[in-house]
Amino acid sequence: MRKTEDRIFHALMGLFSLITVLLLAFLIFFIFRESQTAIREVGLAELLTGDQWRPLIYKDAPSYGMRNMILSTLYVAALAVLFALVIGVGTALCLACAATDRQRTLVMPYIDLLASIPSVIYGFIGLYIVVKFFEKLGRATGESILAGGIVLSVMILPYMISSCCDTMVRIRSRYGDASAAMGVSKWYMAGQMVLPASVRGILISMALATGRAMGETMAVMMVMGNSIAFPKLLGKGETISALIAMEMGIAEVGSTHYSALYTAGLVLMVLLFAINIVFELLKKRLAKEGAV
Amino acid sequence: MKLKTALVKLWAVASCCLTFGVIFFLFAYIFAKGAGAITWEFLTESPKGMIIGTEGGILPAIVGSAWYTGIACLFGATLGICTAVYQVYYCRSQRLSNAIALVMQCMAGVPSIVMGLFGYTLLVLTLGWGKCILAGGITQGVMILPFIQVRAEKALREVDQNLVRASYAMGMSRAYTVRRIVLPQCLPQLVSGVILGACYAMGACAPLIFTGAVIIAKVPKDLMKPAMALPYHLYMLLTQGTSSVNAYGTAFVMMIIVLVTNSLATWFAWRNKK
Repeated sequence: MRKTEDRIFHALMGLFSLITVLLLAFLIFFIFRESQTAIREVGLAELLTGDQWRPLIYKDAPSYGMRNMILSTLYVAALAVLFALVIGVGTALCLACAATDRQRTLVMPYIDLLASIPSVIYGFIGLYIVVKFFEKLGRATGESILAGGIVLSVMILPYMISSCCDTMVRIRSRYGDASAAMGVSKWYMAGQMVLPASVRGILISMALATGRAMGETMAVMMVMGNSIAFPKLLGKGETISALIAMEMGIAEVGSTHYSALYTAGLVLMVLLFAINIVFELLKKRLAKEGAV
Repeated sequence: MKLKTALVKLWAVASCCLTFGVIFFLFAYIFAKGAGAITWEFLTESPKGMIIGTEGGILPAIVGSAWYTGIACLFGATLGICTAVYQVYYCRSQRLSNAIALVMQCMAGVPSIVMGLFGYTLLVLTLGWGKCILAGGITQGVMILPFIQVRAEKALREVDQNLVRASYAMGMSRAYTVRRIVLPQCLPQLVSGVILGACYAMGACAPLIFTGAVIIAKVPKDLMKPAMALPYHLYMLLTQGTSSVNAYGTAFVMMIIVLVTNSLATWFAWRNKK
């Protein structure tokens, strides 16, 4: 009796795990299948490197080059990671070296709160504060890659901080007492020992944050102006995810346009998988060396 | 040397202040601007006006979001927690366990807009459900699945192994041990993970654009019909750029939900540690 029950439970857990794994397989399969039409008709090279995105026919044939969107995605993610790096590593250093364990446990939920705020709200505040600010500075329109980078940097800040803080606390607990016994001040220790020792941990958190930044849709779509021009710091731009969100509604199901949007999704997914794999490899290697 | 140390201190303290300043500002801004828009009518009426949403309330969006989130949690938590149980207590080969971890990693890395595309081709088109609450909820469920699974796995691994071994030594089966010893032990963390997943699903707009969310609908009664959702409603209000009062009000409601769910999740997680 008990044995049957055990078997049923085992089978049930196995079945649900199988469904979970199959979901990812399905996901990849469907995105891949739907993008085939565009790849066949337009060609992958043209899709990736073409600089014209004109899905609707006016005078001449439509063209589906998403080079500018790919570059915009990379540009805005790089900006966001750069800003988040400066602020996030500083905050993590402060929390790891100057705060007590108790203070840290009290403060960390507030940082996590930042990760829970919906991206539409970030877009909303970005539109009303960041974009307005640029307009006050005298620009005709405040919607820009820079605005997107600023908003996005706040969104990835919590990942950056908690990941860096973990590394730094570990390093501090390993060498902190010895350092304090030598009479070294905590800030000297922070600058001379904790910071250099956590460089690789910081690199890992950068990979993680880049992935987050590139996958973001709503917030960047609302503050970047969505123009398919070549990305410039103060110019408008459109990320791959924004392109999909904006045009999916007008693309006819089964058309080349529709399929090209799936190809855009495929490109984004492949980029993120690559970043994730690099992140995993880095982490494994550092864990082996005992550096993290 | 002294200068360098002083600079490090300045940088760390300044960025720490900036971070907490931003957190405080985000909430203070929405609360200060949004509180005025909250009236009984705003919470209990449907959107009205020449341009939809400029007048009236957001009740259909609140109820719609609750449906999407409920389905997402049911779907994501069932699959996520079962996968975690399998990975920790049943899977004997390290290789299979690593493979499941890799699948979760990849799934967590799929951007939410691509989840939306997936839900659109599979649920809306291939299965022919059309845009509906069920399709939107399941799409969000797939999105929060890895989020819940990672937290559940961590909680399961933290269970005191002596208890588990003692249970086995008493001749208890694996299923009995998991259900009667392990799950009650880490229930608070599991609940905390699901609550955070719910908050994530509530705020996610990208997966819903193609799978369920619409500009205007009645308070939903049927799972196979589309419904409004809070984040999409806020997005529509902003892109039309007409009613910022109602936009602030909608954002206010979402921020309250974020605060409440996060406080609950933190409370559950801490309760167990004591």
